[in-house]
Amino acid sequence: MSRNQDKKLYLSDRPPLTAVKVTMLAVSYCLLFFYVFIVLWPLAQILFTSFNGNHGSYIQIGTSFTFSLKHFNYLFQETYFLNWVVNTILIALATALLTLLFVSLTGYAYSRYRFKGRKASLMAIMLIQTIPTFAGIAAFYTLHSIVAAIAPWFSRQMFLILIYAGGGIAGNTFILKGYIDSISTELDDAARIDGWGNLQVYRLIIMPIVRPMLSVIALWSFIGPFLDYLLPSILLNDPKAYTLATGLHTLVNDVRNMHQPVFAAGGLLTAVPIILLFIALQKQLVSGLASGAVKG
Amino acid sequence: MKVQLVNLGKKYEGRENFTIRHIDLEIDDQDFCVILGPSGCGKSTLLRMIAGLNSITEGDLLFDGKRMNKVEPKDRDIAMVFQSYALYPHMTVYDNLAFSLKMRKERKTVIHDRVTEAAELLQISEYLYSKPSEISGGQRQRVALGRAMVRKAGVFLLDEPLSNLDAKLREHMRVELVRLHKSLETTTIYVTHDQTEAMTMATKIVLLDDGKVQQVGKPAEFYDRPANLFVAGFIGSPTMNRFGGVVEGGHFKADGDLFVAEPEKEDRDKLSAYEGQRVVLGIRSERFIAGESDKNSFTVKVDVIEMLGKEQLLYCKFADGKECVISEPGYFTYAVEEDHSFHLDTAGLHFFLEESGERIN
Repeated sequence: MSRNQDKKLYLSDRPPLTAVKVTMLAVSYCLLFFYVFIVLWPLAQILFTSFNGNHGSYIQIGTSFTFSLKHFNYLFQETYFLNWVVNTILIALATALLTLLFVSLTGYAYSRYRFKGRKASLMAIMLIQTIPTFAGIAAFYTLHSIVAAIAPWFSRQMFLILIYAGGGIAGNTFILKGYIDSISTELDDAARIDGWGNLQVYRLIIMPIVRPMLSVIALWSFIGPFLDYLLPSILLNDPKAYTLATGLHTLVNDVRNMHQPVFAAGGLLTAVPIILLFIALQKQLVSGLASGAVKG
Repeated sequence: MKVQLVNLGKKYEGRENFTIRHIDLEIDDQDFCVILGPSGCGKSTLLRMIAGLNSITEGDLLFDGKRMNKVEPKDRDIAMVFQSYALYPHMTVYDNLAFSLKMRKERKTVIHDRVTEAAELLQISEYLYSKPSEISGGQRQRVALGRAMVRKAGVFLLDEPLSNLDAKLREHMRVELVRLHKSLETTTIYVTHDQTEAMTMATKIVLLDDGKVQQVGKPAEFYDRPANLFVAGFIGSPTMNRFGGVVEGGHFKADGDLFVAEPEKEDRDKLSAYEGQRVVLGIRSERFIAGESDKNSFTVKVDVIEMLGKEQLLYCKFADGKECVISEPGYFTYAVEEDHSFHLDTAGLHFFLEESGERIN
């Protein structure tokens, strides 16, 4: 069959487009392009501003562009930026690890065991989720003072980690429980006959299957501390102990110390660790591993 | 290995009644025992109790005379195949087969030999390094069997292993399973709801219903001498015809004066004890003989004909609307709406007490 004849055949599974549908399609595309513009425009501004040597303390629209690294120099030499990066990454890593560890255990337990108060406690977790973390700030503050009085090594950063992880454990337990529920319990039985104990069944059978979900949970727990400003701004009082969000904020919250382009440069660098983690987890995030476990 | 169940019972947490109770059973070494029953009768529970996945509430489970109630599944010398196959999805076929042996810290060469041996026997050598998601349903089924085989266990437990296969493959696997059972020389306990599987594979059938054993025996006994009305109705396709009636003078008089059955002498002796009582006559579709006779004869109208080639099933109606199924050779000519006479083959009559459903003759 020649190529010309091929062209005449209508091969799509959908009905042919009418004039109205073509218009609607055009409108949809316009909206999508507009949305893309809204998202990308500020990002482009950050990128250009951070490398533009013509900017002073303030970002001014219409400034001509001269490539320069002076904002980055300022960031690394005049501020505690590296401290903030290390702080944030440590807090984020600790939060992610703590969340993963506990969610693995709670999710597995809620999915596989029947115990008294199982339903009630699940319900309680869900209800507590509806109260914003920030509502408890006064309680957190007092709690930390009490604990720190007994154990002075218990820093405010550690407390922050506990708050983040605590919130993450509750919400993610639900998600992981649902995911494990979808795995046939016959797999557990088979492993038990093969001679594995409960924790081994989780580690060797369940965990590899739920890995995509664990990756998502890890990623979100890791991103959390990067995005949060409120809690660290209240709990942390030493500029060296700040996280990126609170640290960078010091560059734009005071006229005497106004460095908007430096703020933009810091924002740009903040994205790097998250992007790296995302690339590392990309393979795991692709789910569908469980297919083929049971019947065909 | 010989498996004995002594007065076994199971009650689940939070349930009011026992799921199964008073199960007494003896499964000899190298028996192919099929536990048969409708869904929800407790057959899977029974198997899981033998496997050690469910606890035993009362009674004893003995393997070769040793009490197994509190022994861990891995120490019971059993291997189990699950309905969903339960293959570990993240491991290759080879690792799936080797998993239990690795756990027992067998030497690498031993593991390799056993795995390749099982793979060859089951014809899955080609797929040893594929993931379960990459192979077909029939192949997964073989892998599940292989995983049980490599353990070289004393008891083989199978929980509806063929229910996920298509009809053709199921037929093929039935023969394979029997062959495998013979070559392994183990005791096999097989759970199914499919009477064909039970009749074709078993050396011993256990029919469960309502948490109780209804009958234990060889396949032929189930067909020829069902112990009660439930067994009579469960085994055999089409379902056995039943007629309610009373015993009068040693004869069976069907309700609505449909016919009078004059049983053979032995049956008559047994029936005479129930003179005047209500009984049920059961007769399989192939035990009707075409044509009139001076005794046991009746006339029915043919309602629907199912032509199966070798035979034909006639769905007939008596004058009062009572239905029965009669099977006749395929080369006889019948037509719908015709009246035909048949008589009963007295050697194929089953009598049951109407009230208890127990067999009389």
